This record gives sequence, structure tokens and C-alpha cells, in this order.
Amino acid sequence: MAFNMTRRKFLQTASLAAASVPLSKVTARANPPFTPVPLKPSGSFKDTKTVSGGVCEMCFWRCQAVGKVRDGRLVKLEGNPKSIDNGTALCARGNSGVQLLYDPDRLKHPLKNVGKRGDPKWKKISWQEALDECARKLNGVKDKYGGKGISLYPHGSSAVYATNFFEHVIGTENVSEASFFQCRGIRDVAYLETFGMPPGENVDMANAKAMLFIGCHLGENVHLSHLKKYLKGLENGAELIVVDPRFSASAAKANNWVKIKPGTDTAFLVAIMNYLVENGKYDKDFIADYSWDFDKFKEGISHASLEWAADICDIPASQIKEVAETLAAKAPNVSIHPGRHVSWYGNDFQRERALACLTALLGAVGVEGGWVPPKGPSGLGSVSWPKVAHHDKDADMYELTDKYHFHPPGVTPELLMNAAISGEPYPVKAAIIWGQNIFKTIPDQETTKKALQAMDFVMCVDVMPTDITAYADILLPEASYLERYDYIKTGTQWDFSDKHQQFIAPRMPLVDPLFERKDPVWITNELAKKMGYEDQIPVSDQKEKLEKELAPVNLSVAKIKKENGIHIQPGEDPYQVPEDFELSLYNGSLEEKGYPAVPTYTEVEEPPKGYARLLYGRTPVHTFNRSLNNVWLHHEMPENPLWLNDETARKLGIEEGDHVALVNSEGVHSNNTTPVKVTPGIRKDSVYLAHGYGTVSPKMTVTAGKGIDDQRLITKPGVDPETGCYGMRTSFVKLVKSGKVLDIPA
Amino acid sequence: MVGNEKKITLGTIYRLLAQLMRDPAEELSDEIISVFYLLLDDLKWNKAKEEVRSALDNSDDFIEDLQTEYTRLFINASPHVIAPPYASVNMPGEGTLYGPISEKTKDFYKSRGYDLDDHDLPDHIVNELEFLAIMADEDQEGLEEFLQSLFRPWFAEFKAKVCRESQHPYYRVTIQLIDFFTKKEEVENGIQHDKA
Repeated sequence: MAFNMTRRKFLQTASLAAASVPLSKVTARANPPFTPVPLKPSGSFKDTKTVSGGVCEMCFWRCQAVGKVRDGRLVKLEGNPKSIDNGTALCARGNSGVQLLYDPDRLKHPLKNVGKRGDPKWKKISWQEALDECARKLNGVKDKYGGKGISLYPHGSSAVYATNFFEHVIGTENVSEASFFQCRGIRDVAYLETFGMPPGENVDMANAKAMLFIGCHLGENVHLSHLKKYLKGLENGAELIVVDPRFSASAAKANNWVKIKPGTDTAFLVAIMNYLVENGKYDKDFIADYSWDFDKFKEGISHASLEWAADICDIPASQIKEVAETLAAKAPNVSIHPGRHVSWYGNDFQRERALACLTALLGAVGVEGGWVPPKGPSGLGSVSWPKVAHHDKDADMYELTDKYHFHPPGVTPELLMNAAISGEPYPVKAAIIWGQNIFKTIPDQETTKKALQAMDFVMCVDVMPTDITAYADILLPEASYLERYDYIKTGTQWDFSDKHQQFIAPRMPLVDPLFERKDPVWITNELAKKMGYEDQIPVSDQKEKLEKELAPVNLSVAKIKKENGIHIQPGEDPYQVPEDFELSLYNGSLEEKGYPAVPTYTEVEEPPKGYARLLYGRTPVHTFNRSLNNVWLHHEMPENPLWLNDETARKLGIEEGDHVALVNSEGVHSNNTTPVKVTPGIRKDSVYLAHGYGTVSPKMTVTAGKGIDDQRLITKPGVDPETGCYGMRTSFVKLVKSGKVLDIPA
Repeated sequence: MVGNEKKITLGTIYRLLAQLMRDPAEELSDEIISVFYLLLDDLKWNKAKEEVRSALDNSDDFIEDLQTEYTRLFINASPHVIAPPYASVNMPGEGTLYGPISEKTKDFYKSRGYDLDDHDLPDHIVNELEFLAIMADEDQEGLEEFLQSLFRPWFAEFKAKVCRESQHPYYRVTIQLIDFFTKKEEVENGIQHDKA
């Protein structure tokens, strides 16, 4: 349309004479947004304040930070100079927290979906209306199905208080935190069954003489103080052995890169252990002191010759022997890294048990360079909702299904999704998704969609409108880690050879939340009130919660602020075998439930002819999908190139930078293409992608259509029999170039 | 300042435009709609008026329609909000909330003797329109400076997004009105032909 009038002319002639109410009256506001203030002379100096108390959550390592704040606006993040953990450093993601804070896509107000689940039409509503609806729907499900009718998919520190409310007061046991379950849950249970305690990533790499990484790709996986330990160890001359089908960032620094066939690591580890035992190269004193059933263990692994493993692992027997000899020569000062994300192939519990057993055989427990749990601060308080719900004895999914007897805490996504769809073993009709994008954390996205569609009510609480939030009925905006009080990070100095110190660093807000974003304590308390549980509320707000947690160690928020965000106190020497260490090389409890009592290799499915196994991992500039919409980080790595073996590429006529799509053995196609990285640094039977890419919506302007979503292609996950955790390096793919499907040559 | 019921001032127009850009659930009354129509009549934007009137009259719940469109365009959409109404999101080279231009905008308010009480960010379009209204009433030099240095540099990008993506004529027309009342007039006398 064309408008033929100038503004000047309009103002000269317009009268709006027909208006029933004067225009000036219609536009008058009771509370105009501007108020006159005294003029300041131009050039007034504006202070930029340094605000301490930041604890990063761009990943889960939680480095301590300070914010540079000017007139209420955060302009920069830096490492807290007082930190004895990450020090003054922050990684690329930590620096980019500013972009998350002010991302225009961030959730700002409570929203109601007046469209459909999966195809939402959002309407801004008040907190009152949003919480009324949540309370009504959740009480409705609870009244009809009991507490067990509600499921929770929480993630991270912000969801802890809410999860505790639903477990203790509402009485649901259906909690599935995939970031734990599908990440390090297997590791923690396997070490619990071997050492009597979970391992953390507590290997004293800074003081090691040798390090063994099975699939760890430190450098691509960036956790600052952990990297400092690793790099200090390398500087000190430690030998590095990296077992990986791919020439990872760690493999690039290794003295010995073992290019193992995917899924066979347990065979490799068992053969090393058998070699050490057969040749008397294990720590006999340590084993005599701590192991009861060593003979049974010895017998259980006696079949594992170097040649047996070499054939399975597709590597030379001499290389396995070389690794074993190196470890024996450097023992006990060896860091056998327990890994972090370990749910790979569906045979992972046994691999983790093998890592723990190898650590023990080398006597690498509580000694310099070995597995050494730090002696961090103790005595902090905790805040919990009162346990008033009577748990329904019929609500234990594991007992009802007689599966996964060594599962990590929580319910497997598989059992929860099945219950939502089939109603068996009991109906699950509401989902509370708190900070977790379950499309990216749980494989088989179609099943997830079906489960959510089968719910009576879906509620999401998040910082960003992630893919999963499109399935919410009510979507609530949460304050980010830079705007709230919650988690208390504790620890010690990162290098155990330095003066022993401990630190306590509670997360405190660097700036106030904008819009109607609320912290999780407020959201949970308000919801509890509306659900009729006001009398059970344990703390009135997030700050009171933190004060209660700090009080038992004679600290307070004010005191920590005065100490610039971190309290530091004298530490203790950690070099000793932990008091509650209990070694079970041979584990009778496992045997009773029908699982192998000694670490045992189980075959995994081979790639069918014409397919390669899809491997995935991390990139140093992203925390999976969480950070992909961050403009600064996107700039550093906008796509996830597909690693392809150079010989395979030559046979297929593919060159570096060519764009390809993927199709898996069940016929599922990737929804984007990605460039190819041609390299000799990956086996022919595998391809590799950084995880988390491939955002679907074309409206996601920063990251739309960039890279391939590996999770979409994981449609046939393995299931670890002991734990029920998914193995996710179980998909097989072909390449698609210009619409043509290409078979991977043998 | 604005008291003349028969004459219209630029300040009053800016206040009306600010009202039209506020959350419809909180601000939109029948009176505002009727004044909106009269403004379009006076401008002879007949086709625009008919589009808006038709969309509002043919809706079962026009407030909810506007609320969902307002939310989708300006607050949150899944997974990407279409046109956040903030200078710093639309300013070339920024693309973030509360960016450097937000700070400059706040400084400008203060330099002219005003502080912002509202909870939203200083560079939200409603705040800028309210400030333009004050400047139009009190400070012609401040008005021109604000328009040229802080408002127009980002508004073109915002206008393009809304005009391209809006599914409701109410917002397309409102944005065109804002454009009409804020752009530099190149023709002093006679007819100006604008493509809208």
C-alpha cells in the first residue's frame, strides 16, 4: 500500500474530531514509565563494579567467576582471582555466559500453549494463572493415579529443590535425570560395586607417571581444573596412552594411541589385567590387603590372552602388551581415568568395572598420580522437604519389571516412556521437565513424542525455549545461573602437590533477573502453596536456603561476599586409601542376580555391510545443544563436521568440505547436511560427529539447519543389562551425497 | 501540553503508538481501538484500516488472537522469537538483549533529565516511544537527536521482521504507523510517496 501524506501535513490538518474520548485522555497513563531526575553533567564517571559469587553453569564443572557490572548490566565474565580451582581462567563457554543472559530468545514470561503439543501457539499469562493451572492439573493426576502418576525429567542444580518436593511430598519415584543416568550413572554404580564408592574424575593426573584414557578426549571435553591436572602431568613427562577409534585431541598428545575397534574396550582391559596377573606384575601387597576373592577373579579373567583380545579389538597383541608393560612400570603412580559420559555400547558397566579393577591391580589407589578422592570441606547443611508422602510399594518399576538390578538412582527413560505409552506397569500421566531437553538426552525421539502426547499434562521450566518446550502445556521462565542463589561448589586446590587448601563457593547472583523470570525455590514454593502444601515449605526463599546450608560451617552469604565469593580454609593431605574403600574384584552380588562377577567382555552388534558405526563426542566450545544458540560460540564452531576415514573418502569420491547427509540402518535420515572432514585419524568402520547439533526449526536463526543431529539417528540404542542405561554408539549409517546413498566400503 | 481536544500533537501520537505496542491483555481497550481507527481514517489509510477491522471483527476472541501474536512476535516463540522489540537485538552488530545501545539509550534519557521506572529494558520500543512523546512535547532538539542517533538505526530491521513475519494486520499496520511518525521527512512541501 502507498500512503500519500506527509507527517507534517497530517499534524497540521488532523483533528480526530470524531473521537468519543479525547485522545490525550485515552493515552494518559496512571504510572508513566519516565520520571524527571536532576540532570548530571555530561562526562560523569560511571563505575564498573566487580561482583563476586558467580559459579558458572555453561557446563557442569562450575568454575568460579566474577562479573563486571555497569549500571545493572553484566558486561563481562572472568575467572575469580581468588579461585584455587579454575583461577582467573574461564573457557570459551564460560566467557559466553553473557550471551546466554541476554539472549533475545530466552524465556521471559509464563506462557500457556493454546495450540497443540509439538505445534504450540503461545500466550503470555500471569504467574498466578500459570501456577493455578499447573496445580490443578498436577493435583488432578495425583488424585486419579497417585503420586506415581507424575514423572520428572530434571536437570542440574536448579531442579534439585523441586525434585525433592515431588519425591518427598507428592510421592513420585519416577525421576529420570538423563544427564546423570545417560552420562556417568553407569560409572558410578560400577565403581560402587568395585570400590564401594563412586570415582568422580578423581585421578591425580598432575602427579602421574602414566595416564590411560579409554575414549576420554580431554581438550575436546573442557573442564578447566581437570585440564590443568592433565596438562601438568604431561608437562611433568607422564606417558599418555589413549584408546580411541579416533585421533582425538588427547590422542594427538599420546605416546601410544590404540586405534581400537568400537565396543571392544572391555576385552582390551581384561587382557591387560590377565597379563599383569599371569606375569606377577600387579601390586601384590595392595591386593593382599584389600581383596578377598582374588583367586576367583584370577580364574575369571584367565581366558583373556593378548591374542584373544587383539583379535577382538582389531589391534596388535604387541600393542596391548606394550600398554600393560608401561602401566606396570609406572605403577602405582598411574591415572586410570574412569571417564565421564560412559553410556556407549550397552556393555558399559563391565568396562567400568574393568577400569576400577585395573586401578586396584596397579595399586593406584590413594597414591600420587593414582585415583585419589580429594579431601574437600565437610559439614555443610542441607535443606530438604519433609518426607510426608507414603510411597506406594507398587511403584518400584524395577521390582515390577525385574530388570536392571544395578541401576543408578532414578528410573530409566525406557521404563518411564513405556509406562506413559502403555500404562504398564502403571499409568504415568504428567511430566514435569525442568531444565532438560529430553529430545537431545534420550535416544528414540519418536517414542519420546508419543509418551508426551499420551500425558494429561506437561509442564516445562527452562531458561531457553529448547525443542522439548514445544510439548509443554505450561512453560515457565527460570532465572539463569547468573541471576540466582543455589549450588555450593566445594573442592580443593587442583594440584595435590601444592599446599593443601579447601574452598567453599556458593552461587550468588551477579545481576537481578529481568522480565518475570523466577528462581526455582520461588517457583516450587508457589506451586506447593497452590497444590495445598504450604505447611510443608522448608524455606521461604533461595537466600534463606543458602544461609541454612552455610550456617553449620559458620558461614553466611554476607561473610562469603566479604571474602569475594570464595571461602578458603586449610586442607588435608589426600594421599591415603579412603577409609570406606572396599575392594570387590570378584563381586558375588552381581553373580546372585545373574550378571558376571568378574569384568567380562560382551560382543556388540557389528555394522552391517555398507554401514559405518556412528560415534559422537564433545567440542570444547559447546555444551551439546544447550549452547548452540549462543552467537559467540556459534561463531567458533557453527557446524559439526563428519569425520571420515581418508581411504574411505577416496573410494567414495568425497573431498574435504563436501556436504553430506546420513541415513541409518532403520532408514531414518538426518534432517540436515554437514561438511566432511577427511582424515586418517578415524577407523574405516566408524564416522564421528560432535553431539548436539542439527536444530530442526528454520526459525532458529542462529543455528537452524547447521550440522547433523546424531541423536535423531540413534533409533536402536543398546541397553546396559546391569543398569538399564542406554548405549548410544549403536547406530550404523551410510552417507548421502546429492541425494545418492553411498555404501561405506569394507 | 496536549490539552487541545481538537488538535493532535506528535507527542500524543507517540503515546498512542506506545499503547498499541503494549501487551494487548493489559492495555488494549475499545477506546484505544476506536482511536486507532480514527487515526487511520485521518491518514486515509483506508485499506489498512479495513484489514485490521476485518481481522478483529471476524475473530471469536480478538484479544486472545492479539495476545498469541504479540507473544509469538515479541516475547517467545518455539524455538525462536520473531522480532524482539529492543534496539540492541535489531541494531546491526549487536543481536543481544541489553547490549551497548541499551546502555547508550539509558544514558540519553538521563542526559535529558529522565530516568526510567518501568521494569522492562530501556531500549524496549514502548519505552522509546514514551520517551519520544516527552521529547516531542518538550525538547524538539532532543527528539531529532534521539530519532536519528538511537531510534531509526535499529527500527528498519525491526520493521522489516514484523512486516515479513506478522500473521495479524494489527501489528503490520502499527509498525507502519510508527515508521510514518518517526522517519525523517525528506519532502518539505507537497506529496511524499512511501512504499509501506
